[in-house]
Amino acid sequence: MASRAFFMRQVVPILFGIACLLAVVVAIELLIRLGAINRFIVPYPSEIAGSFKRIIVEEDVPARFLLTTGEALAASLMLTVVGISLGALLHRMHLLRLATETWIAAVASAPLVLMYPLFLVIFGRSALTIIMMGFVSALPPVILKTLEGLSTTRVVLINVGRSFKLTPSQLYWKILFPSALPTIFVGVRLGMIFALINIVGVEFLINFGGLGQLVNELAERYDLPGTYAAICFVILVSVVFFIVTERIERWLRPGT
Amino acid sequence: MAQTGHLTAAPAAPNIWAAMPLKRRVMWLRIALLVGIVAVWEAVAASGLLFRDVVPSLLTVGRSLFDIVTKPDYKVTLGGSEIWIPEFYRHLWVTTGEVATAMTIGGLAGLVIGLLLGTNPFLSGAFERFLYYLGPTPKIIFFPIMIMWFGVGPGSKVAMGTISCFFPVVLSAAAGVRQVESVLIRVGRSFRLNSWQMVTKIYLPAMRPSIINGVRLGLGVAVIGTLLAETKLSNQGVGFLIINSYSTFDMPRMYALLMLLFMVAIGANALVGRASRG
Amino acid sequence: MAAAPNASARPGDGGSASAEPLLVVDDIYKQFETPEGPVIAVDHISLKVMPGEFLSVIGPSGCGKSTLFNIMGGLLDDYQGRVSVAGETVKGPHASIGMIFQEESTFPWRTVIDNVAFPLEIAGMPKAERHDRALHFIDLVGLNGFERRYPAELSGGMRQRVSMARTLASEPKILLMDEPFAALDEQTRLLLGDKVVQIQQQLQQTTLLITHNLTEAVQLSDRILVMTYRPGKTKRIVEIKLPRPRSSEIVGSDAFGHYVAQIWNDLREEASRGLKDDESRRAERRR
Repeated sequence: MASRAFFMRQVVPILFGIACLLAVVVAIELLIRLGAINRFIVPYPSEIAGSFKRIIVEEDVPARFLLTTGEALAASLMLTVVGISLGALLHRMHLLRLATETWIAAVASAPLVLMYPLFLVIFGRSALTIIMMGFVSALPPVILKTLEGLSTTRVVLINVGRSFKLTPSQLYWKILFPSALPTIFVGVRLGMIFALINIVGVEFLINFGGLGQLVNELAERYDLPGTYAAICFVILVSVVFFIVTERIERWLRPGT
Repeated sequence: MAQTGHLTAAPAAPNIWAAMPLKRRVMWLRIALLVGIVAVWEAVAASGLLFRDVVPSLLTVGRSLFDIVTKPDYKVTLGGSEIWIPEFYRHLWVTTGEVATAMTIGGLAGLVIGLLLGTNPFLSGAFERFLYYLGPTPKIIFFPIMIMWFGVGPGSKVAMGTISCFFPVVLSAAAGVRQVESVLIRVGRSFRLNSWQMVTKIYLPAMRPSIINGVRLGLGVAVIGTLLAETKLSNQGVGFLIINSYSTFDMPRMYALLMLLFMVAIGANALVGRASRG
Repeated sequence: MAAAPNASARPGDGGSASAEPLLVVDDIYKQFETPEGPVIAVDHISLKVMPGEFLSVIGPSGCGKSTLFNIMGGLLDDYQGRVSVAGETVKGPHASIGMIFQEESTFPWRTVIDNVAFPLEIAGMPKAERHDRALHFIDLVGLNGFERRYPAELSGGMRQRVSMARTLASEPKILLMDEPFAALDEQTRLLLGDKVVQIQQQLQQTTLLITHNLTEAVQLSDRILVMTYRPGKTKRIVEIKLPRPRSSEIVGSDAFGHYVAQIWNDLREEASRGLKDDESRRAERRR
């Protein structure tokens, strides 16, 4: 009976959701065939599905995928190293933190990605512009979350360390850092997602590089089903990225 | 018995810095940092190590900024009379209108759907997953489709802003509903409130912090969505001005515009943040 | 110097024949500066704990018990008076003193066994050896089978036992506990009390317990020091002459009730003084 209740509560809604999605797709297909929707604005869903294979083969999607992933990884690596270091530095230097934390929070709320024309001038139309834009626009949350994680370590845990006579460096690496790690990764993950969004976005905007450019190019060629299929592909990639980082985050909070 | 021996021993202050109150020290450090940044910037600008145009002297940036906000180069007709205003304000007005419209549509839709999902476990089980996964995808790639649906004018920019701000609002509204303490809901039921009263008297007031947080996140991404769309294809708006200064290679102007934009965005964000405390 | 009332009294039973106290707290005085003026947290308290003895310090909330705990554990300096262990003055955390804290203090990123082995790891013991030692103490607190679990998978009572095993694993001469069961419900508290009595008997562990719970104090202690509310002074020291080994069953006995009533008499006065003080401060703050 318990498994039946579980089925009713967990599985049925999921199936219903998927069924609705399929129903919408079928309805769109029918509405286009009936002429209620202009097929030069929304292509047949069946046509979109059909062009998946075509764009993957003809538009060199594997290479583009690798390029975008590589850019995202490079930006993420820089984010992790620079962001965590800066956060840890601010945590150590209390005065500097008091002076700059509100500034960083303010910068975090500014639309930094709008600086891409500036980066274009500095770094040229290259992968470097894209990587740097992803890195810079996602840096503030990593710094802030690192700072938050380190400074919200519970006092009693530090007292436990002191009662066992830990040296300052042991206190840092055995207690402060592991205690802050889940929060730090929340920041890193947020930063990685920001970076990926902005990397694909800038690829699209400056028409250079991987998956973002693919969407732009197909749209400019007025390849409607291809554009829709490429968009679906980008969504797929970001969802996979999202789920993987979510798994890592859960793994860092053992037992919960 | 020297009970307060430790406490009354005045700390000898060998230097002024150590004796200064903390707030004063923070202020001086900030000033020093700003001066340092400006000095390094000007040194790089003067040295010509980078192209002079990439790092222009802050003086020229300042002059450009002053021109943008004061030089009357655009004619408007107001009540029969003609006035000249800086053209920047027209573009700012366009962008503000687009973002405001996007926030209204996307925010309201997000709020209503968020309330539905939060109060109905079945709907949430069926659809929230999709929203949760679509949330962190790059929205700008929908722009070609939005152009086809809503044209090259403000319509497609509003659509981009709407898509962008919908996700954070709907997700925080749904989460906010579930965080409402169940005892408050039982209190409402015990007073036999109807559904509308439950929403307006219990849920919405109790959800205030998460709604404001959602609006704040939504505003941030709506600004990004709208402006990026303007830089891609448009003939008006702040995004257009920025990309236009790029095409004419007017770097001081680009810096000035970015500074203005960031100040407006940071100010708007702070304003929404203040609403959560007030 | 005010002579503390019979502070050097011998333990009722269980104490060793040698009269040398293991822990000496000599005339501790500590005051804090607050916006409302200085508050005396600990006012000239002295006490001696004999080897193998179980001493409790009881007092109403706000009487400075936790300050005393932090001073004895070496987490607070800047006080007057002296704390010494076996004749050696304590300055900073001392290897002979093991502390168990009131708040949840397990490391959420370590499994039970790695939590318990923590002090051994710090001491540089090889992994295999420290795991063996840790298992012994996990067994002692009755958590066998949970070695590989994370704290988030355990109940509050189990987590507090992990903290206890972790402190015991450092094999302190003196166990210092600050309301270790405060966050637990009454039944769990009584059963864990049994566990503590059993462990203390088994290890002949010298223990000092800070608590505000009467039942707990009488159930566990050889002697109880009653503190006054602000400033925290010694009000009385009560010897508990209940037979050992004890279990939570004695909670129902007449002798037990007698002790509880006696101490409650002292405590009630102090607790109500604390309550009034708190209420008037709240009223003032609203003004």
